[in-house]
Amino acid sequence: FFTCINIKQSIHQKLQAFFPPSFSTNMFVSLCFVCQAELKKEPVPLQDDSDLEKKRREADALLQSMGITPDAPVVPTHMSPTAKSAGSPSEAGSQDSGDGATGPRTLHWDCDPSTLLLHSEPGYCTLSARSPSLLLFQTSRERKEAEEEETAPPQPEVEAEKEKPAEKQDEEAPPHELTEEEKLQLLHSEEFMEFFDHSTRIMERALSEHVDVFFDYSGRDMEEKEGEMQAGAKLSLNRKFVDDRWSKQRVVTCLDWSPQYPELLVASYNNNEEAPHEPDGVALVWNMKYKKTTPEYVFHCQSAVMSAAFAKFHPNLVVGGTYSGQIVLWDNRSNRRTPVQRTPLSAAAHTHPVYCVNVVGTQNAHNLISISTDGKMCSWSLDMLSQPQDSMELLFKQSKSVAVTSMSFPLGDVNNFVVGSEDGSVYTACRHGSVTQKSYPCHLCLANMLYIKLELWNKKSCNNKPLYSFEDNSDYVYDVMWSPVHPALFACVDGLGRIDLWNLNNDTEVPTASVSVDGSPALNRLRWSQSGREIAVGDSEGQIHIYDVGIILKKKYFDLNTLVIAENSTDRPIY
Amino acid sequence: FNGGWQTSLRSPVLGDMVTLFTFCAEVEDTLKRIQGINGVIGTIVVNAEGIPIKTTLDNSTTVQYAGLLHQLTMKARSTVRDIDPQNDLTFLRIRSKKHEIMVSTDKEYLLIVIQNPAE
Repeated sequence: FFTCINIKQSIHQKLQAFFPPSFSTNMFVSLCFVCQAELKKEPVPLQDDSDLEKKRREADALLQSMGITPDAPVVPTHMSPTAKSAGSPSEAGSQDSGDGATGPRTLHWDCDPSTLLLHSEPGYCTLSARSPSLLLFQTSRERKEAEEEETAPPQPEVEAEKEKPAEKQDEEAPPHELTEEEKLQLLHSEEFMEFFDHSTRIMERALSEHVDVFFDYSGRDMEEKEGEMQAGAKLSLNRKFVDDRWSKQRVVTCLDWSPQYPELLVASYNNNEEAPHEPDGVALVWNMKYKKTTPEYVFHCQSAVMSAAFAKFHPNLVVGGTYSGQIVLWDNRSNRRTPVQRTPLSAAAHTHPVYCVNVVGTQNAHNLISISTDGKMCSWSLDMLSQPQDSMELLFKQSKSVAVTSMSFPLGDVNNFVVGSEDGSVYTACRHGSVTQKSYPCHLCLANMLYIKLELWNKKSCNNKPLYSFEDNSDYVYDVMWSPVHPALFACVDGLGRIDLWNLNNDTEVPTASVSVDGSPALNRLRWSQSGREIAVGDSEGQIHIYDVGIILKKKYFDLNTLVIAENSTDRPIY
Repeated sequence: FNGGWQTSLRSPVLGDMVTLFTFCAEVEDTLKRIQGINGVIGTIVVNAEGIPIKTTLDNSTTVQYAGLLHQLTMKARSTVRDIDPQNDLTFLRIRSKKHEIMVSTDKEYLLIVIQNPAE
């Protein structure tokens, strides 16, 4: 404070203009300083004792003439330092009270060296412009307030004020403002109570509803959104599933999500070459819902499991197809980790590795379909695995057997299905008929040909050529799957640890989103969850990576002239 | 006064002061509860003249919202009354790209709540 005074000559000059000649600048400044000190009741370091006493008496006299006694509390307030002091064209600098406001007894000083503003709570500090002895630099609001209350002594409701600290936050309104007691009066008037009760009731109801009636599926409102959101999709890692004992150093051979419990995922693994004493085949059931890092269930069997699936209409059963040709059944109700049922190793069943198992049908009439690499397809009843209900050889043109590596049943169809074979061809087959290489209406299938190219086939096309070939991959593509919810979205994984998300509505040349898995392991399997919001990816090191997929729809859509991108069961396009 | 008053602490001198205090505490609690709802940006209570008497926002924003919404509510009310003099405005909901402003009005007071509906 002293420093401030000593430095600013200009301030003194300005002050001179406003003070009557009898009142020197130094006096004023010291006076205020003394006032402050007085009110704070703190010892004041001074050069001159007698001077101080004189100043103190004068200060007291002045204040009393205003109606402020040294004991009267003065409430500080926050005030904008850039105040519009309408009546005071010149302002002198001041300084914040060095020790900080110690409470209601301090006059607040602003730190701006170019202005001197006496901040005060309106109505309490009556340092008025009308006073001949003391200077008032206030905002127009304050001045008006001061004018109004110049004659009135400060109100004692400051006690009530202290008890309700929240009300100090009340703001002023432009034309005129309400004093604290006026606000208080309002707040406990009966009228206000009625209004408040009624309004808050409705407001809370309105706020609790979460329906967004404005969502635009065409994505038009997304266009205006800023940021890095691009049309398409984004992939983000959610979590990893790996078990030190059971899944390390085994290749993930198959993934399947449970239809009954969407958080459960079964993964099958082949053998661990470094642990010959451990079982060759392992199937683990992982749980997405909890943060537990160990599998929900551990199942194993003697032969490497090449495919696994939850039995669709039996929530407790997990089906596995093994390398030896046996099909095994695990039950989570039993306490055993070994299968409760096994198919026989006979010529009636399979003698080659079973790469595909699938439960098709309805609740009352369903079968387990299994296909092995020798082209044999068997149909089983889950109650009795001792012999197949039906079996057939998949022969193309009645002679050539199809070495099946993958199989897919279209939605809702139990008789006709599509198989991919080792020789890179895609075949359609009928359970009760023959195998043809012709196309089939109303179905699009993705074929992973020779692990290099992805091709899109339309079963409608008459020639035996794929509809589209995706050639963006640098390495072998090991697995591909359509999104179960988005008609134009599919994902694929390759041997270099890359997951690609393709959106045919956006671009057929490059994937919409692409992410590289940590450590770049060869990714073997890919499976969308039923909600279409997650992708499970299995790699060659026994790890399962769960990625979250966020889809953002773009405005326009892509349409091949003969290709209908979206189909539902009634054969009518969605887009 | 019926309802809303709790006269638990009735000291002879400060009796009225305390009842006053506890009532205001209820108002405070309710406003705090509303403010705590997910997505709510601010809550303002405005009186018949458009002067804010309670707010959870800062000075300038409150003044702006109170003034503008008071005018708009008056206009909306007069519109409703012009169409049917027996009718009166009860609730006003303004949905913009970024926010939703809800104004509940009764007996000339306004309860304004600004929320971000995306949350």
